[in-house]
Amino acid sequence: MYTTIRTRMQNGGPILLDGPMGSELVRRGVRWRKHGLLTDTDKVAKLHGEYLAAGADVVRTNTFQLNPRVYLNVFRNRAHRAHIGAPGLEELTPKLLRTSVRLAREARAQAGADGRVAIAGVLSPLEHCYRPDLAPKPEAAQAEHAELARIFAEEKADFLLLESMNTIGEAKAALAAGRAAGLPVWVSFVLGPEGEVLSREPLHEAVAEMEKGGADAVLVNCAPPQDITRALARMKEFCKVPYGGFAHAGKFSPPSWKFEFHPQFVDSDAWPADRYRREAEQWRGAGARIVGACCGAGPQHTAALRTMLGATR
Amino acid sequence: MSYEPIHNKLAKGQTVLLDGAIGTEILRRDVTWADHQLKSRPDVVRGIHRDYIRAGAEVVSTNSFQLCRRAMNSHFRDEAHRKHIGPADFESRVPDLLAASVRLAVEARKEAAAPHAVAVAAAVTTLEWCFRPDLAPSEQQAEKEYEEIFGVMKDAGADLVLLETVNSIAEARAALGVTQRLGIPCWIAFVCDEQGVLFTGETMAQAAAALEPMGVTALLVNCAPPDDITAGIRALGKTSKVPLGGYAHIGRFDPPEWMFTTEYPPARYREVAGTWKQTGARILGGCCGTTPEHIAALQQLR
Repeated sequence: MYTTIRTRMQNGGPILLDGPMGSELVRRGVRWRKHGLLTDTDKVAKLHGEYLAAGADVVRTNTFQLNPRVYLNVFRNRAHRAHIGAPGLEELTPKLLRTSVRLAREARAQAGADGRVAIAGVLSPLEHCYRPDLAPKPEAAQAEHAELARIFAEEKADFLLLESMNTIGEAKAALAAGRAAGLPVWVSFVLGPEGEVLSREPLHEAVAEMEKGGADAVLVNCAPPQDITRALARMKEFCKVPYGGFAHAGKFSPPSWKFEFHPQFVDSDAWPADRYRREAEQWRGAGARIVGACCGAGPQHTAALRTMLGATR
Repeated sequence: MSYEPIHNKLAKGQTVLLDGAIGTEILRRDVTWADHQLKSRPDVVRGIHRDYIRAGAEVVSTNSFQLCRRAMNSHFRDEAHRKHIGPADFESRVPDLLAASVRLAVEARKEAAAPHAVAVAAAVTTLEWCFRPDLAPSEQQAEKEYEEIFGVMKDAGADLVLLETVNSIAEARAALGVTQRLGIPCWIAFVCDEQGVLFTGETMAQAAAALEPMGVTALLVNCAPPDDITAGIRALGKTSKVPLGGYAHIGRFDPPEWMFTTEYPPARYREVAGTWKQTGARILGGCCGTTPEHIAALQQLR
């Protein structure tokens, strides 16, 4: 299915990504544990279906910030996890990843979209997406991302989307891991308030490295809409591969209980679908071939973007 | 209310009942714990405090585990990033929630109108993750951060501080220095391994030697399976002069929540707590996974 998407993208696009899973599931009252992939699979599948009905060309797996470190970092070490942790934590992540692809695939089949929608296996920084200072060393990062990429390849995700990457080093490692697993890779960087990669590394360097590493597309995400607009205007100058973006709608409001990244967003009213679409028109104007919506948005944003792009399929 | 009735009981060598888990009890009542539920479900939090008091708890601990600025701030790159993408009320959130946690416990005490004296403990853990001593801030930095937390909670009406699941002597020392300056009693509970040793490798004897001269009110062990608590209390009992205590978790940590098991029903928990008492512990309660029924069962040990 990826061939159709790639061909369309190479001919100028547009490609419509779906909207956020985590923040929308939390808004719908899903208790954020194991990404809902053990307890709320019906709600996960339903949300995929709603994004498809809204006109998304790409369904992203509900796996943002889901990797084995999440279930190890909260223990003293492996022995401590074995001593006081629930059984099966060691093998939990692969199991959840497989479920996530299955749910996306089922939703696609149910929408009768097998022929036109691609499934993106979502990888993200191994440590907290907003903490570039915690990023693991490239060798460790590559080995850990390779393990996740292998599972997505086995489950037949159509391509990998590295989301909210916060350092060039980890993005390079994950890109190499994804390519080695035999999957096409898109890489998206989280922007800092300065408009560069969150690590303060220049965006143009990040893009150049991803192009060199064989990324099919480079994106920016996980920042307010105007930040995405400004970044895309710059990317027009230096991006050689197709590029795009997807923005926050609202403010990140982490819970007072510190665990890992918890996709709770508030004040999304400031970015209703219409306003979001008007901002995204500028992204298209800057040459973006891929647009979508990040945390805080919902299916109505995807629908508004579809109206903007027209039914070009 | 004050700490005095508790002090007097301990001075006479009598047993004092601490409450049981609050975070996992919120989960068991089918509510998420993501925001401590201090603002969204105060009824649930108050209800649990009340149930513990009615079960016989003489010290109720506030629902404020890991509730600190550092935990919240660590979700952002830095202040500039937080201001850019975080919510507008972020600055005031932590002090507001800390004060609310004390207020709910104080209100529950009033509602329960128990025949026995009840003290409210400001329950505070390490500033970084409780099981990760490798992440701990410097002692000086910790002192600065504890100063705000304890100050807010004392002003809101806490009778004592219960510093729990502590993983290093340095952080305990930092906190104790602050409570001494504020003039509020301080119980310190360490998390320990199967041998009763701190997660830094420091021993209970070293901890007691560092904290007793500073004036710690009581020393406890918590947040480990019952047998590990037994080992921790035994280690403390060899050297300590201050009142001792323990509270174990039962079940399994299933991040970000808790897995409840039937391994330690109330009667069995009482049995193991009985061995803690024989080893010299006078403060008995429950950690993650315990319920008001477990605390009620401990009444027979008084």
